[in-house]
Amino acid sequence: MTIVTARPGLLSHPFGERYAARIGALPGAPHAWVDGLRQSARAILGAQGLPGPKSEAWKFTSAVDLAKTPFIPANLADDIDVVDVPHNVPRIEGAVRIVTVNGIVRRDLSDAFDKIDGVSVLSLREALAAAHETLKAVIGGLASPGAYPMAAVNTAYMADGFVIQVAKNVQTTRLHLISIGAAGAEPVSFHPRSVIGVAAGGNVALVETHVGLPGHSYFSNPVTEAVVGQGGVLKRYVMVDEDADAFHGSVSAVSLAARATYEDFRLCLGGRKVRQDIVVNLEGEGGNAQIHGAYALARSDHADISTFIDHAVPCCTSAQEFKGVVAGKSHAVFQGRIRVAKDAQKTNATQSHKGLFLNPGPVIDCKPELEIFADDVQCAHGAATGEVDEGQLFYLMSRGIDPDTARGLLIAGFVEGATEKISDEPVRAAFVGAIETWLKRRLAEAVAL
Amino acid sequence: MALIEIDDLHVSVADREILKGVSLAIDAGTTHAIMGPNGTGKSTLSNVIAGREGYDVTKGSITFNGKNLFDMAADERARAGIFLAFQYPVEIPGVSTSAFLKTAINARRRAAGEPEIDAMEFLKLVKSKTKALGIPDDMIKRPLNVGFSGGEKKRAEVLQMSLLEPRFAVLDETDSGLDIDALKVVADGVNALRDKERAFLVITHYQRLLNYIVPDFVHVLSGGRIVASGGKELAAKLEAEGYAQFQSAA
Repeated sequence: MTIVTARPGLLSHPFGERYAARIGALPGAPHAWVDGLRQSARAILGAQGLPGPKSEAWKFTSAVDLAKTPFIPANLADDIDVVDVPHNVPRIEGAVRIVTVNGIVRRDLSDAFDKIDGVSVLSLREALAAAHETLKAVIGGLASPGAYPMAAVNTAYMADGFVIQVAKNVQTTRLHLISIGAAGAEPVSFHPRSVIGVAAGGNVALVETHVGLPGHSYFSNPVTEAVVGQGGVLKRYVMVDEDADAFHGSVSAVSLAARATYEDFRLCLGGRKVRQDIVVNLEGEGGNAQIHGAYALARSDHADISTFIDHAVPCCTSAQEFKGVVAGKSHAVFQGRIRVAKDAQKTNATQSHKGLFLNPGPVIDCKPELEIFADDVQCAHGAATGEVDEGQLFYLMSRGIDPDTARGLLIAGFVEGATEKISDEPVRAAFVGAIETWLKRRLAEAVAL
Repeated sequence: MALIEIDDLHVSVADREILKGVSLAIDAGTTHAIMGPNGTGKSTLSNVIAGREGYDVTKGSITFNGKNLFDMAADERARAGIFLAFQYPVEIPGVSTSAFLKTAINARRRAAGEPEIDAMEFLKLVKSKTKALGIPDDMIKRPLNVGFSGGEKKRAEVLQMSLLEPRFAVLDETDSGLDIDALKVVADGVNALRDKERAFLVITHYQRLLNYIVPDFVHVLSGGRIVASGGKELAAKLEAEGYAQFQSAA
């Protein structure tokens, strides 16, 4: 039995005793390599607890309410009564839909995904049973439980997820992974773990939508590790639209070989507490990381995006552009860390964050961290927050547009403008649609001040 | 009665008086030009007419079509028929030019009790105007004024003006940043709108624009006051002799 006693200043948490009974039933238990990973993650959790208020990496996002919620592990069976995907999940043209409920793959709600040309999709459980080669090679190597508390919780209790392998030189395939959270009487947690391998020259677009059933309290804790081979392209478009009472803590860790591209776009439309860590290791020359996103928050939503782009080798590019609007009593956080190693000459790294306040209540925290050890680099970062621009508002009004409509156009334009970074047009259109729905639903209450 | 009547207008910005008693009456069917050195209040006058905030009107009035302009917000003035062609059109990322144009046209139509424009009619209307102004089709799909060249921005202003069909239009330094070809196109666009019902106020530093948009009256604004008025020949005189004579007078 694991008893969690956190160090002073760190938070004790619910992922201890009640989870201990589950350990033997978790998939992969018989494999020593899986068991070893889990044991060491549990040890880290036991020693470190969840990050407390003095944790630098979590200074703007309190884990207190997460630690205090008495979660129970979600059922491992695929029998939760969900008959259809919620209405806030967009239809993505030409995408194969794969649905999970509480992190468990649900073939009954999914399109067939066994026969996609050049792309193999297995559930984590199937891949563990088969001791899948890519899974074994990658898991635990990129999303470090020591550095990322959300990876520690996930590694200790991961129960399902995906292993996706894209073959060499495969042209774009689009998958849409839909995660639905559904609690019973008690709040549940689930910890999906996915591993993605893109072989040299392969190209895949993964859309992820994270939603929950209305009024349900759950903790969605997905961790994804991805390795992209030479010249490969991995695109991930992640929409988080969790319920007002739901927690979401994710880690995405990606390693890029030479001339590989990783394009990541996050759209966050709500959740009680959402923390997304994005880690990219540029490990081959000519690598390109495009990490962008938008958020629109209201209620008491809290959304944190924390990135770490590690330029380990010369001649790589990274760009980050995040934009968002905050209303109600919401709280947005962007922390962007860039490290350029001593030998990583000719690095080009940019970062920008712009936040727009719709009323005086919300908070935006932004922290750029640039650690540059090379001398021949181009790095630029910028951050700005403010209200709707008076000059733009006047311009629209001077054409006869009333102030509410003008503000609405400017706000929509600001957030939707961020989606221009999405290179996949059907996904961009779907995300714009999701933003418009959010604005229709929330803007009236946000603007009526 | 004049279409627009400015009477003894005093305007301060941050407690500094910029306009010190401007009076000007403009009849429908006429085009007036205001010329003057930089920093003399030309843009203040245009912003106050259009209803921009941040200007304190300490004295005087502006009456438009019999109504007190200061009772109306910027958007109401626009719907009532006032238009300002901006010296520096504002870039609005994320808002496509066409969506903006449609919203603006419908705002005016609703105010006039007319039905909203449908998609087909809108496209036809825009196309008929863009062609005359030499505006490429893809420009209206782009975000409003974003990445437009100086000339494209001014053409887009005239496009908006021709679509919104104002009663009274103020052109604030519309010639700045235009080469001679673009200047002619823009001037043709303005001239096409001139008729008995409409009036124009052309604000410019140089006479050049007035060779193409020929005014009926020319005024010199200096030191916050109109210090001289005359016909179009006054513009030529200013071009030849400069503003110094009026600055000393002010």
